[in-house]
Amino acid sequence: MSGHGLTGLSPWSRRLVAVGVLVWCLITVFPLYWVVVTAFKTPPGVVGGPTYLPFIDFTPTLQPFIDLYQGIRGEFFRTFLNSTIVGLSAAAIATAIGAMAAYALVRFEFKVRLGAGLVFFLLALGGYLLFNATFGFTRPQALLLAFPIALIAAVVANRLPLPGPILGNEDILFWFVSQRMFPPIVTAFALYLLYSEIGRLGFQLIDSFVGLTLCYVAFSLPIVVWLMRDFFEAVPIEVEEAAMVDNVPSWRIFIGIVVPMSMNGLLATFMITLAFVWNEFLFALFLTNSRWQTLPILVAGQNSQRGDEWWAISAAALVAIVPMMIMAGLLSRMMRSGLLLGAIK
Amino acid sequence: MMRNDPIKHVFIWPAVLVVLAISIFPLIYSLTTSFLSYRLIPPIPPRVVWLGNYATLLQEPRFWSALFTTTLIAFIAVGLQYAIGFGVALALNARVPGERLFRVALLLPMLLAPVAVALVARMIFNPTMGPLNQFLAKFGLANLPFLTNGHWALACIIAVEVWQWTPFIILMMLAGLQTLPEDVYEAAELENASAWQQFWGITFPMMLPISAAVVFIRLIESYKIMDTVFVMTGGGPGVDTETLTLFAYQEGFKKFNLGYTSALSFLFLIAITIIGVTYLALLRPHLEKRR
Repeated sequence: MSGHGLTGLSPWSRRLVAVGVLVWCLITVFPLYWVVVTAFKTPPGVVGGPTYLPFIDFTPTLQPFIDLYQGIRGEFFRTFLNSTIVGLSAAAIATAIGAMAAYALVRFEFKVRLGAGLVFFLLALGGYLLFNATFGFTRPQALLLAFPIALIAAVVANRLPLPGPILGNEDILFWFVSQRMFPPIVTAFALYLLYSEIGRLGFQLIDSFVGLTLCYVAFSLPIVVWLMRDFFEAVPIEVEEAAMVDNVPSWRIFIGIVVPMSMNGLLATFMITLAFVWNEFLFALFLTNSRWQTLPILVAGQNSQRGDEWWAISAAALVAIVPMMIMAGLLSRMMRSGLLLGAIK
Repeated sequence: MMRNDPIKHVFIWPAVLVVLAISIFPLIYSLTTSFLSYRLIPPIPPRVVWLGNYATLLQEPRFWSALFTTTLIAFIAVGLQYAIGFGVALALNARVPGERLFRVALLLPMLLAPVAVALVARMIFNPTMGPLNQFLAKFGLANLPFLTNGHWALACIIAVEVWQWTPFIILMMLAGLQTLPEDVYEAAELENASAWQQFWGITFPMMLPISAAVVFIRLIESYKIMDTVFVMTGGGPGVDTETLTLFAYQEGFKKFNLGYTSALSFLFLIAITIIGVTYLALLRPHLEKRR
């Protein structure tokens, strides 16, 4: 890789470019440096105006972190555990079923009639209205009844020679990815109402592990399918064909050959998903209130709770940031040139 | 070679079922609710008003102001991200000195929680005790109303967005730059094309498809902005920095005005679809010409 694009520049302008990058780098790093040093300050070290160098400008202390651990500003330890548990399980489940779907889209042929999709949507909508308005079922009951009916009807309709275009693998992939375009507020709000009505039927989903994880899995799936498809396409088909000659069943080809060969891609996808879930704010805001609250909610709350106690705010922000900093280090090692390239084609 | 094996259904159905259940159902639910007048506090029994909620919303200045604010933030922030990101990616690709050192640091912001970043930004933009104030005071610009004046607050939010998401553009553009063929540049070199000519004649047109995709992703994501604003200004001062998502949150979660909020989220969906389709339609002729 040579430096095209800059080869024509004089040494002087090369230096100018280097300075420009350095400035951007400083802008990037300064806030991070600031939050790290502020987290170790004592109250006088903050109120006296900005200070930058530990041991010279101010005396560092661990007090903010001890306060956090002791739960003076909210139950940090438990919230940290919540975030970890929900993040790891949602990322693991999403990576697993997303990878399966991506593999299916790469190696098997699917045909879905547009008509069958329309049948599904109309029956789900119509069935819901019918059950709710005419038969007097509650809204979640009506939804739960309409869903399987619409699904079965759609699968049957797919076998019939309906008019209209036939959608292939590319279209299914587009459908997955387009879910990402949705403003999450549309879903978050409706999901909140739906969850609370299901809760009234006796099955608690608001502020529960299952409810939050399920929602995160669904929202990570588009990215997982999108990224994993490119990794699986890079697996040479000859290996799989050789195994097929020996009559190895497809699921063993997938688990025994394809998964080990795309381990790097799976790991990278897992980490990106984990970062997404770890940082997510809107769904957690709607779907949790106390027991399963996640870190972003607690961190956002620090703001209003006690005003300008910067040492504590910084420590809280740092707790939310550090795991992702470590992951960025790991990820950048795997980020050899072109790891994410396929994703943008 | 595509295989055809019944086991393919086992592979694809779990993902399809989860996505269907979590995305299509809320959609149906809020679509039907958006035609109702339905409040939880004070409790009023649902009443069908058809397009009434939509009509009220379209006459509501607060909706238009939120739409305008969101659009302003998205377009300015993404424009700056693209300009800075492309520039830095070009420099990194040209192996400026110290390039390896920059890479990890440059990627960091996009993996951090926006909520935490916004908290840090609040400290930095503090008008009396913040480091930015100290820096600007040296130039005689002390105590600027960073987060308490509508225009300044908007600029600060945009600055934070640019800080956090430029790394994404750098990452993608760098990956794209590394696939450009070498020989075109060698030919240009022989014809004594200047660096400036090489950029506009070769690099920029060849990077156009990737640029279009990256800008599209960032634009759509920027329209969803909520957590940064929520922490930095809470939509204030007044409603000067209120974005669409924040507006919907206030209406739905604070006032429990269900029908109205559902209609609002659908208008949001329609707006984002219009923007997306227009963007793709505008770019399509440019993209196809290069193929």
